[in-house]
Amino acid sequence: MRIEVKDLTYSYEQSSKKGGQVALDKVSITIEEGEFFGIIGQTGSGKSTFVQHLNGLIKVEKDRGSIKIGEFDLTDKKCDFKALRKKVGMVFQYPEHQLFAETVFEDVAFGLKNFAPEMSEREIEERVEQAITLVGLDYSKVKEKSPFELSGGQKRRVAIAGVIVTKPEILVLDEPVAGLDPAGKKDFLALLKKLHKMFVKTVVLVSHDMNVISEHCSRAAIFSAGKILTVGTPKDIFANEDELISLGLSLPTTAFIEKRLSHSGINPKSNLTVSDFIDKLCEEFVGGKR
Amino acid sequence: MKDVTFGQYYPKDSFVHRMDARIKILASIAYIVGVFLVQSFHFLGFAACFLFVLITTITAKVPFLKVLKSIKAIMFFIILSAILQLFFNSDGEVLLDLSFIKITDLGLLNAAFIIVRISLVVLGASLLTLTTSPVELADGIESLLYPLKFIKFPVHEFALIMSIALRFIPTLLDETDRIIKAQKARGADFESGNIFKRAKALIPVLIPLLISSFRRADELADAMDARCYSGSKNRTKYKKMKLTWRDLIGTILVAGLIVGVVYLNNFYVLLTVAL
Amino acid sequence: MPLIELKNVSFSYDKKIDVVKNVSLSVEEGEYVAIIGHNGSGKSTLAKLLNALVLPDEGSVTVDGFSSADKKQVFDIRKTVGVVFQNPDNQLVASIVEDDVAFGPENVGIKREEIGERINFALSAVGMEKFRRSSPMHLSGGQKQRIAIAGVLALKPKVLVLDESTAMLDPQGRKEVLSVVERLNRTQKVTVINVTHYMDEVVRADKVYVVNDGEIVLSGTPSEIFKKKEEIKACGLELPLAAEIADALIQRGVKLPEGILTEERLAEELCALKSKI
Repeated sequence: MRIEVKDLTYSYEQSSKKGGQVALDKVSITIEEGEFFGIIGQTGSGKSTFVQHLNGLIKVEKDRGSIKIGEFDLTDKKCDFKALRKKVGMVFQYPEHQLFAETVFEDVAFGLKNFAPEMSEREIEERVEQAITLVGLDYSKVKEKSPFELSGGQKRRVAIAGVIVTKPEILVLDEPVAGLDPAGKKDFLALLKKLHKMFVKTVVLVSHDMNVISEHCSRAAIFSAGKILTVGTPKDIFANEDELISLGLSLPTTAFIEKRLSHSGINPKSNLTVSDFIDKLCEEFVGGKR
Repeated sequence: MKDVTFGQYYPKDSFVHRMDARIKILASIAYIVGVFLVQSFHFLGFAACFLFVLITTITAKVPFLKVLKSIKAIMFFIILSAILQLFFNSDGEVLLDLSFIKITDLGLLNAAFIIVRISLVVLGASLLTLTTSPVELADGIESLLYPLKFIKFPVHEFALIMSIALRFIPTLLDETDRIIKAQKARGADFESGNIFKRAKALIPVLIPLLISSFRRADELADAMDARCYSGSKNRTKYKKMKLTWRDLIGTILVAGLIVGVVYLNNFYVLLTVAL
Repeated sequence: MPLIELKNVSFSYDKKIDVVKNVSLSVEEGEYVAIIGHNGSGKSTLAKLLNALVLPDEGSVTVDGFSSADKKQVFDIRKTVGVVFQNPDNQLVASIVEDDVAFGPENVGIKREEIGERINFALSAVGMEKFRRSSPMHLSGGQKQRIAIAGVLALKPKVLVLDESTAMLDPQGRKEVLSVVERLNRTQKVTVINVTHYMDEVVRADKVYVVNDGEIVLSGTPSEIFKKKEEIKACGLELPLAAEIADALIQRGVKLPEGILTEERLAEELCALKSKI
């Protein structure tokens, strides 16, 4: 499913006449099926508001732009948001804070039961087992446990299992690695990559971590003051260092070093992923001589 | 969710805002007593109360609409009380007879009286919260409750609980909003079904909210301990409340209102006697 | 005499499993110390031991001559060691900035006039004077944490403990908080203990302790620590990305010196190498 957003405008406090703060200002963007799409920007730049539109948690107001996702027209009054949310999964910041059920099984099954009430018990069990195993937990060990007895990292995995259990085609994640330690972060990103190769066709990832964006995203957009400033490959969006710094953002490590090297006449021209960057540098410093 | 006008502070620099919180609390209580002093159907007394609200609103530089909105918050309660008066008052001349229910002129008058009375009370109370920050309010209540210390009532703790509760309301509202959205994204439906179904649908919101509140309380307790909190013993207070000429004027005005109401009550009596 | 000394400290919440096991460490006045470990390694409990929020089951904690074993000295320890916690929303008690900063001094019975001065001092130390009468609700995460630091500074502590105080902040907020803390360390000679899982925050420290499973497994200067890559990875931690890249380049024959930790340094070394070729 393709995501097509046109002139999306949204302001908080519609009711107040003094023109509430504009959270989104004529945002237009197309995200193709299959992309691993990154969104960066300072806190308050509108990126969270934007992604919440993608599964109808914030509705498009009249004459304030349009969103089409696959065949869903989110501006249409008759749009079936439940069907949409089944296809567009959403992982919030600190998703473990949404756990509520008595057992891990019940919590993960929650979404499934909401979206597919007709599903048989057996099928539900299969799907839940699959989701829990996918996020790297031992199904037989955790299924009857209370989610609240688990460790912080395990809770987050359960919460993510609760989102992917419906096999969404588009997965939207808002700062999913916040608060994770390095190992937890690495595991999580590996899981995300794995999902992207399975049923998740498109990933939309909001992150403050520029290294994550340059490493994993095919394309990304920079948000600032409710507008999209730049869209493109990591190479494109990290080309203008001064602009990024003026927005309170920074360069990923690879781009930072490339920039410094270019002043000394070295242009490794990597795609900014770590492995490619190392390869290109080796060509530059060792390869030529060998 | 965010439309909780009642009790929200409207920051401005005005005569009323600068008054001492204690005087404002006492004045509000006096005003409410004044509203209740108005005897049945002496609407002129209500007019005096309304005039008082109007003057206060203007001196407080608060948009009158903001004050009026407070009534909206308890509309349901007002209407319910009015309906009860209307339907269950069988005295007076019958205006409409629906066999099972009689509507009388006295019932109608009573209903109107109740509506005005509750509305006026709410207007006054909301003026207090609109012009007094939660912190000042808590400090004011603490100071007013001070005499209770002598009967071993934990005044300081009570005030601290209040101010912390106030401090966390916006945080918890935000959190509620986030959890609702997260569960909606997982297909939860809060809008359809009968009342039981809807109540049940709230469980996935209430439980995470409860758990997060406990977590917050825990962390807050640690943070307070770390800053050497140990109850009211040997504690000093940074903010000192001072009475000023404004408070004197405010007190006089409220006293004037009560005298006015009592006078208007009698004015009616005199009027009826004369007729 | 060190300002803080932990000797063979053990602690458990449930009297069964020790979350801190036989830990000994000392911190000198004016030092910038980093304690690093993965989530659940026991580092936060360690932070709470430092200002007597929890008391050791075994061993001793001594702060500026005060012992946590003596109940009467617990408040002296808390006055000496201030802690800033992780969640900016859960450590402010008041709805107005200056009232919150006043909370600590009020608790220890400081006179009103002096509290006013302390608020001035604390808010200017974190660069938040302008927000004295604002509500913290409308501030950013980084600003809220700076208020939390001010609230601690108002007690004039000798030591500032950051218990994962940057974990919930965006990069901008992290930068704000770290630069405030660094300035306090440099100009006010406040001893800093930064408890974190971010490796790049460690680079700046005078001394680093790596915690795993409740024990201190490594200690030393940052460059000493970063040499022990395998041990660090075994603790669920990572080297800063620049250090990893430098390492990979060296492995593949690029003649870089050992001990590169930051991206600035890596870029410099690469440029220097280029000019040699």
